[in-house]
Amino acid sequence: MSNIVVEARNLSVMRGQTPVLSDINFEVRKGEVFALLGGNGAGKSTTLHTFLGLLPPQSGEAILFGKAVHSDVASVRSKVAYLPEAATLYGHLTAIENIEYFLSLAGIKKSSNEIVQALDRVSLQKEAHNQNMERYSKGMRQKTAIALALLRETPVLFLDEPTSGLDPVAIDEFNQLITSLAAAGTTIVMVTHDVYGACQVAHRIALLRRGALVGSFEADEGGKIDTETVHAAFAERAAS
Amino acid sequence: MSMFSSFTRELRFFLKQPAAIVLVLVAISLSVFSVWSGLSEVERQQETIERLLVADAKDRAAVLAKESDYGGAAYYSFHLTYDPPSRLAFAALGERDTSPWKHRIRMLALEAQIYESDTANAELAQSGQFDFAFVLSILMPVFLIILLHDLRASERAAGRHDLLVATSASDNNLWRSRAFVRVILLSIGVLIPFLFGAMVSGASLLSIVSVLGIAIAQILFWSFLCLWASARSYAGPTIASGLLAVWMLTTFVVPAMSDAFIEAIIPAPEGGDIILTQRESVNDAWDLPKEATMETFVKEHPEWAEYAEINRPFEWKWYYAFQQVGDQSVADMSEKRRAAILKRDKAAQWFAFLSPSSLTERSLTGVAGTDAKAAMHYQQHVRNFHGSLREYYYPLLFKGAAYEAITLANLPRFKALSDRK
Repeated sequence: MSNIVVEARNLSVMRGQTPVLSDINFEVRKGEVFALLGGNGAGKSTTLHTFLGLLPPQSGEAILFGKAVHSDVASVRSKVAYLPEAATLYGHLTAIENIEYFLSLAGIKKSSNEIVQALDRVSLQKEAHNQNMERYSKGMRQKTAIALALLRETPVLFLDEPTSGLDPVAIDEFNQLITSLAAAGTTIVMVTHDVYGACQVAHRIALLRRGALVGSFEADEGGKIDTETVHAAFAERAAS
Repeated sequence: MSMFSSFTRELRFFLKQPAAIVLVLVAISLSVFSVWSGLSEVERQQETIERLLVADAKDRAAVLAKESDYGGAAYYSFHLTYDPPSRLAFAALGERDTSPWKHRIRMLALEAQIYESDTANAELAQSGQFDFAFVLSILMPVFLIILLHDLRASERAAGRHDLLVATSASDNNLWRSRAFVRVILLSIGVLIPFLFGAMVSGASLLSIVSVLGIAIAQILFWSFLCLWASARSYAGPTIASGLLAVWMLTTFVVPAMSDAFIEAIIPAPEGGDIILTQRESVNDAWDLPKEATMETFVKEHPEWAEYAEINRPFEWKWYYAFQQVGDQSVADMSEKRRAAILKRDKAAQWFAFLSPSSLTERSLTGVAGTDAKAAMHYQQHVRNFHGSLREYYYPLLFKGAAYEAITLANLPRFKALSDRK
């Protein structure tokens, strides 16, 4: 049985009349961290949106677990947790209330204890758990959204600029979290323009420029991707 | 995920949104006020009728006690006529704030007495009553627009839309449940005061169910329109502006234009013109030869031909004959006016299909018995009663019966169409 979890097959996507993705192909295996690197407007978020069924492909296919996303969006979404860029949860609810609400949307029931443990895992301060989120910093909101993604316990995680707004310590903690989730078998697709961050956690990196893949890198035997090589390629081929 | 769990989730979510709660509370307050205002107005009208009934009987007894002939008795005694409010009138006062629901008539020319009241209430006619029909037909759409227009747009603006949709087991279920909770809470909040008012008033189950059916139709129409608009990918203010434009157009512009159009294509003699024409006819009769008046009268009422001779300078039978000739002189105008009003009403019913608010209001006044048809029905009832007065007095006047006070004990008494419908 194939262990390919996420696959873009000749995928092209338009936003209105504008082509955003042009015939891209990639595969992500179970337990792999795959990073799509690209500058602004490269098509990174569009790729995730297509895999989430938020945008239809113009041609080609976005495939999850061997099934075209648009053939059964609801089933696909139940297997994917999504962390949007600058996640804005409800300001008038606390972190715990927000997580309870979003989990109930997915039909998941977790105890308060489990939610608190997830918030601890992403290092959100205890005293903030029961505060309305309108008082949260961007980093605190991002941590809450990460906790939400973790609590869904899905086999696939889609992360859109996941470390945006996090301080360096939180970024390190986040990277460790990603590594441990991947080791436990979670497939992770992250889109970012943070070359350093991607090299820290990804098993494979693909460069995206104006909707087309323009390069890819795989981790060496030690499990690392050379940051300088990727940075140079990014500057040369992917930065817009 | 079951509908019930989606509903309870969205209910809990709604209860943590102060702005939405305040809006629903405002709607409830306005509904409570409208029901209270309607009940108070109906109570005032009922009390007025009861007070006038006592005063009417007392006044007539006092007047008749002083009279020594039938002509004087008919001339000086007034009769209260009235149309009691229905048990549902509190919810839709309809024509009762513009058309007269009580008269004090005597056996003179009638048409002027009926139309005299047409101009008594002009100020009220402009502003209308703040009743439940107003809340349901005019304000309810605005509350629904405010609550539903930005279901998705507000989430898009806050950057939560994609997360919500990607997380939700069914995004359609999410928006439906969210809208359902808002519509249900608003509807319950607005309808419960009505149900309370209906119980206090003693309205029939059928009439209550009819009003609820009308309310549900109005709420469903605007809810579906708002949901359709909110699913468009426009910004919240753009969607709200569009919906408010539809509301303004259908609630104010279409009815105003259709009224103007209907009045233009279906002309009706004015009540004032009927009054003037009749008064001229009555006043002219004083200067005409009595034979001419009696001839005109007898033409319509040949049964009195053998008693039509007038030998003295003043005779009551001649006086009442020219009053009736006055009515005859405007009978055609009056008939045309009534026919035109009914025709206009029918035309307005068709135009109301272009205006959900008008249709709602018309349907409510129809169920409450406070519409134009009910007002016309009452007018006709007054004419019939006035006719019975003439039938009672004419034999006494034309045959020159000797006055006996006891005879007036059989004077026709006005009986309302029903105590309270």
